[in-house]
Amino acid sequence: MSVGDYYSLCQRYRGRAVEIVTHDGRIHRGIIGDVDNNSVYLQPLSRTRDLGGFGYGWYGYPGWGAGIALGAIATLALLPLLFI
Amino acid sequence: MNYTYLDCLASFGVGGAHPGGLQLTKSILSREYIDQEKSILDVGCGTGQTSAYIAEKYRCSVTSLDSNNTMLEKAKQRFLSLHPPINVMYGSVENLPFIDGLFDFILSESVTSFTDVSLTIQEFKRVLKPNGVLLAIEMVLENSFSEEELKTIVEFYGISQLLTESEWLNLFQKAGFKQIKVEKFKQQFDENNIDTVTDFSLSENIDDKLLEIFEKHEHLTTTYKDKLGFCIFRCCV
Repeated sequence: MSVGDYYSLCQRYRGRAVEIVTHDGRIHRGIIGDVDNNSVYLQPLSRTRDLGGFGYGWYGYPGWGAGIALGAIATLALLPLLFI
Repeated sequence: MNYTYLDCLASFGVGGAHPGGLQLTKSILSREYIDQEKSILDVGCGTGQTSAYIAEKYRCSVTSLDSNNTMLEKAKQRFLSLHPPINVMYGSVENLPFIDGLFDFILSESVTSFTDVSLTIQEFKRVLKPNGVLLAIEMVLENSFSEEELKTIVEFYGISQLLTESEWLNLFQKAGFKQIKVEKFKQQFDENNIDTVTDFSLSENIDDKLLEIFEKHEHLTTTYKDKLGFCIFRCCV
């Protein structure tokens, strides 16, 4: 998918929980808070971790953080979260 | 501050925080006769996803009640553009701020489970009109829990007890409901149907403690997904 496709998808999924895998192999799980022409911004669903391999969410940035470049996205899927 | 599961839902602004999400709500309502003359009470309205849907679809009188101010603020935001406007109320379902016999329908979407069930059901009965209908989607205890698992769930979710299907039925009958119908419901997730996917209205800063609760909840629902049951109860006054 192109950057434009991911832009539309992220717009459609705004306010939903997603899992994004970026080309560097990192997995980002979070709720889409915002999206602009370049990036998508997530509210992470897990606490910030000390990072060895996989990255979860944002590290030390307030608010939505730096965002994930749309061009860096390899896959994006909705998360099947359940609430009671 | 000691946060609870419900604080976590409020902060994340979980819409449709009940099994089945908006899709199940739509399907349950579609079986009822609802016209503009009807009045509906949505208890534990949360961020107001269900209330907004009812107001737009049925154009009837909707009252949304919650005991969490963060949720109510998010619901009000959602309702800003709605006509007719929704009546938003702060209050507890165990002591409803309404006179007797006011509503045609009450919708409880995984709300009663989090309260003193017996008190709440009596309150529902009281504020429903004669022939009024309670529609409740609630957690039920299925046999396969050990004492310890049960304790974990009851403590984490801050519920007083987890009732079996027949215990629920008993309490509905005791409160004076007649014609009670029960349907079992299985959680489903369909990536192509956005109504089955939760929508979030996030607060600006979410405490790490709340993330911790979110993680624990996810862990519990994954662990017990085949053990926790859900039922749809339709109870007539």
